[in-house]
Amino acid sequence: MKGRVWKYGDDVNTDVIFAGKYTYVVSEPSEMAAHALEDLDPSFAKEVKPGDVIVAGRNFGCGSSREQAVLCLKAAGVAAVIAESFVRIYFRNCVNSGLPPIRCPEAVRALEAGDVVEIDLRNGRILSEKGEFSFPPFSGEVRAILEAGGLLPYTRRYLGLE
Amino acid sequence: MGMTIIEKIIAAHAGRPVRPGDVVWMDLDVRSARDFGGANVVKNFRRHFPGEPLHDPATTFFTFDCNAPANTIPYAENQRLCRLFAREHGVRVFDVNRGIGSHVLIEEGVVKPGSTVVGTGSHFNIMGAVGAFGQGMGDSDIAYAFRFGRTWFEVPPTVKLVLEGLPGEDVTPRDVTFAVMRRLGSSGALGKAVEIYGPALERFDLSGRITLASQGTETGAVSFILPPSRELLEELGLGAEEAIAADEDAEYIEEIRIDISELEPLAAVPPSPTNIRPVRELSDVKVDAVFLGSCTNGRYEDLAAAAELLRGRKVAEGVNMFVVPATSRVYGRLLEEGLVDVFFRAGAVVSNPGCGGCASGQIGMTGTGEVMVSTSNRNFRGKQGNGLTYLASPVTAACSAVRGFITSKMED
Repeated sequence: MKGRVWKYGDDVNTDVIFAGKYTYVVSEPSEMAAHALEDLDPSFAKEVKPGDVIVAGRNFGCGSSREQAVLCLKAAGVAAVIAESFVRIYFRNCVNSGLPPIRCPEAVRALEAGDVVEIDLRNGRILSEKGEFSFPPFSGEVRAILEAGGLLPYTRRYLGLE
Repeated sequence: MGMTIIEKIIAAHAGRPVRPGDVVWMDLDVRSARDFGGANVVKNFRRHFPGEPLHDPATTFFTFDCNAPANTIPYAENQRLCRLFAREHGVRVFDVNRGIGSHVLIEEGVVKPGSTVVGTGSHFNIMGAVGAFGQGMGDSDIAYAFRFGRTWFEVPPTVKLVLEGLPGEDVTPRDVTFAVMRRLGSSGALGKAVEIYGPALERFDLSGRITLASQGTETGAVSFILPPSRELLEELGLGAEEAIAADEDAEYIEEIRIDISELEPLAAVPPSPTNIRPVRELSDVKVDAVFLGSCTNGRYEDLAAAAELLRGRKVAEGVNMFVVPATSRVYGRLLEEGLVDVFFRAGAVVSNPGCGGCASGQIGMTGTGEVMVSTSNRNFRGKQGNGLTYLASPVTAACSAVRGFITSKMED
């Protein structure tokens, strides 16, 4: 996967990713995408393109357990989130929704907004004009769930429903 | 090899010994969903598991606390969707009259030391207050748990946190919690469990333990785990055999010691719950609103401490005060003890139990620029209105309401 970088800082919380006031009022993917990161970066929803990547600092996704804070980014076409570290609930929600949460502090330090990156999930590599960075590839159940596109699709396959 | 408390709980529910870093499938004793999230759990369940049964309806619950009672039609529709699903599957609903779900499950004896519990709220790790494993999860995670009664989980490393010394009488459990937040910061416990010990903790009743445990999320912790004391087990109506403790040779990734003997009343300045300052440095901040309640400080003991200070006094002109008991039992006891009368005479609004303004619901939101002193759990921008939220103890909340500025004392 290949896309442009949107760069943010530490402690990006779920209220600025997808505000509580929309959480159970807005449920159509396209409408969710229109409110993504609204209180952090109003230009994001207008200019994001499919395949783009969010790069941020420590503690990404702190706050609420609302899954919409992951789903709105997926709906906006975001292909992955690269951060120094993730909050546990947000990390889970990413895996369960099929949006790869990549922990890679070196890439976060080097990459800037607008850089183009290519991500190799299987081998744990990020390629860019700023250099090549590696991260531990996802393993076991986490990889299986991500590759299926999320926990529920994974389970349907596991149950033989598709 | 010895295990920490969370390792013991996960091992017992995974059916095998565990080490930090292991990803295991673990059984969940209790699964629940709130009104905030519950409707999406139902939609996910219906879409992905049409016509299939729940793992165990008797230990599955809905708890309506976010928007209680519903004040918009979309919320009412969401609650209706949950009620219909609950009827269809024989699931008990703790409806809009009952209060904050995590508290209700403890009050009802559904959650005990060593239990594993999930729900759709980020403060479900509050269960660490009784030595149980609680986790907040997203809607599809919970739909999966409803169906299969289990979840995948990465065993976290455990930090041992020791609170040294005993603080003075003007220091509440919330102030002790702020001292922990100051030390750990917003991501100081990221992805870790934190076992907490110390003589001060031994004196905390359930309400104080809930206050401390409720703030684990704000440090990034998987959970704060408080080993149950004998007094707590008595308070919960449980025997000594229900206790849970770490092994003597348990391995901790880190040991942190915090001296709380010189502690003073503290507050969290917006926009971060770990932005801690002494209350005495905030006396020039004028207050527009005060919120007393939430899963952090909505227990009877919290509200009673504030009521005793408000008895015979009035909330300052220009200040609005909102009191939201955590549960119907808390509300009932306030009524019996005459404390609703005290709040009413002081000029406060007392609402039905639930999350109140802390969940973007009704009761206690601010407009742009307004200052709120709140006993709730987070002060992020937008969380409790457009204004500025200062987090503080019930004592500081009551004193600030009466005096009109942020203070922990009724008189200087």
